[in-house]
Amino acid sequence: MLNKLLATVKKEILLLLRDKVGLSVLFLMPVALILVMTLIQDSAFKSINEKGIPVIFVNNDRDSLGNAIEQGLRNNELCYVSDSIDGKPATSEMAMKAVSEGKFLLGIVIPKGATAAIRKNVSVLVNETLNGADTTHRRQDSVEISILVDPVAKKSFLSTVTSNLREFISEVKTKIMFETFSEQIAEVIPDKNNAPKNSFQKSQIIYYTEVYASTATDKIVPNAVQHNVPAWTIFAMFFIAIPLSGSILKEKTEGSVFRLHTMPTPFLLLVNGKIIVYVMVCLIQFLLMLAVGKFLLPQMGLPALVLGNSIMGIFILTLATAFAATGFGVAVGTLAATEHQAAIMGSLSILLLSALGGIWVPSYVMPEVMRNISAWSPLNWSLEGFYKLFLRGGQVTDILPESFKLILFFLATMAISYMYNLKKRTV
Amino acid sequence: MSDPVIIEINNLTKTFKNAPEPAVNGISFSIKRNEIFGLLGPNGAGKTTTISILCGLFPPSSGTILIDGKNINTELASIKSIVGVVPQDIALYPTLTARENLAFYGSMYGLHGKDLKDKIEVWLQKLGLTDAAKRKVSTYSGGMKRRVNLIAGVLHSPKILFLDEPTVGVDVQSRNVIIEYLKEVNAAGTTIIYTSHHMEEAENFCTRVSIIDHGKILTEGTPSELISRNAGSTNLENVFLNLTNRKLRD
Repeated sequence: MLNKLLATVKKEILLLLRDKVGLSVLFLMPVALILVMTLIQDSAFKSINEKGIPVIFVNNDRDSLGNAIEQGLRNNELCYVSDSIDGKPATSEMAMKAVSEGKFLLGIVIPKGATAAIRKNVSVLVNETLNGADTTHRRQDSVEISILVDPVAKKSFLSTVTSNLREFISEVKTKIMFETFSEQIAEVIPDKNNAPKNSFQKSQIIYYTEVYASTATDKIVPNAVQHNVPAWTIFAMFFIAIPLSGSILKEKTEGSVFRLHTMPTPFLLLVNGKIIVYVMVCLIQFLLMLAVGKFLLPQMGLPALVLGNSIMGIFILTLATAFAATGFGVAVGTLAATEHQAAIMGSLSILLLSALGGIWVPSYVMPEVMRNISAWSPLNWSLEGFYKLFLRGGQVTDILPESFKLILFFLATMAISYMYNLKKRTV
Repeated sequence: MSDPVIIEINNLTKTFKNAPEPAVNGISFSIKRNEIFGLLGPNGAGKTTTISILCGLFPPSSGTILIDGKNINTELASIKSIVGVVPQDIALYPTLTARENLAFYGSMYGLHGKDLKDKIEVWLQKLGLTDAAKRKVSTYSGGMKRRVNLIAGVLHSPKILFLDEPTVGVDVQSRNVIIEYLKEVNAAGTTIIYTSHHMEEAENFCTRVSIIDHGKILTEGTPSELISRNAGSTNLENVFLNLTNRKLRD
């Protein structure tokens, strides 16, 4: 029986090696996918980071608030600040027009007398506190800073940027209020040495720091490489369903299956030969993709893939994914009647399963209904497993549930194929 | 002494799902060892269904089949190892060479190592394919493909060989080579069950013939017996047309 299995494996390897188009689909397509998707996603952030978000700044204040905000924006790498349009100093109207035309993503207009209004309000407040004057009914001067946004810009992106901008403007405003407050206090107390100094800095007692909650010993930073390499590798592994189902259907149409059914060889052994070869293909695909992530992407200015803590975990999960992908290919090849049908059925179902599985869009941003459906996609199980290993620093025990589900999926697809074949042959 | 009958079929019926009538309708016949038995009939007569059941491709609806004393319903696995099949369609991998195809199919019959290699070389030489053996089958002519298709069925020296129109679509030279070597296989002890639309070939090649139509056996005997039994017939083709009539079937 071993000789028969080896002969089947040899035959499958020869058939695969002679199918140049199939081979390129299996190996070049995923490399291209990883390169293109990672470069696109990385450069989308990079272009903003390197050149900055184009911001038109209109400083009608020309005082502390306006100057401090302008200085702060100019020092920030996130922004690329201009105060003129086509060589002319920008006005509110010009800024509005330029942003609406997409020349700038954001516009900030600081109104005239903004600093003076803040100072005046602080003075009133100090006066009220020290002299007990009742100013409850007195109308305070308000400062309205306009943030203009390009209607084409994505809402999620804008929320992040404008929220940071509001935080920064608020900080500058508070600083000016503290300074004015200190100056006012200094004027009314006899010993000026006792006047509060650097009161704003002293008030800054809460700081924020972002730490990625990973148990990995290596420093894993979530980035386009850490997300894209496993995602597109899984996608490519499942794409073997197309050449695999094609190979099964070719045997049907070329008559080999007819002959094979008349031979003293269990049909399962013949299928096992295919499974062994295609699982090996998946493992080679995975190694190739890891090599791309580890060595090729850094050559293109991208971060290198960090593998996490568990090589054994990666091996187990990859093997389970390979079996699931191969089982899926066998099922498509068994259920489809023609190669054309298998190609359509295979590619559409993989696209659907990958979309549901979070390969294209992370499942956590999906609506709850879709998230529940997503949890049934084998690509999602695999992706979640790889995220545990590559991003959360997980160990073998962490990915066992995903691996188990993938193996169950493989067994289910094999059972479906076997029963369908049996039904077809007992006509 | 072994049983002179190698295949015994009793009341064999096969009805496919949703089919208006049985493809094979209660046929009974037996084939003796070392015979070249011709199963002849027009398209849709039931001959391919009968051969397919005998090869173990699908089970009969009813009836009993004994092959070399073994019941096909209970001992199919051991029957398959003594049977060789040469299907009408070329059942080869086009991107593999003749040698690679034969090595794979030979292995599936349990051959391996030197024995397998030697048998492949002997058969390639016999059928004039040694020089082309390294080329992919897709580059072969129709006749060459037929010859490789034949070798794949006889490589393991089966006791019984099923041939479904083995010479269809080949030139006269290739047909002669195929028939000659089939006679050689038969002389070495293999019983041959053969179907064809080529009546002249069947008349010369078969030792006994059965004509089947609408799932039933119409007549059976040696070609000369059938010709003499049918008054006015001078060859097997006349007998065939008299029994199955001249109406188109497809």
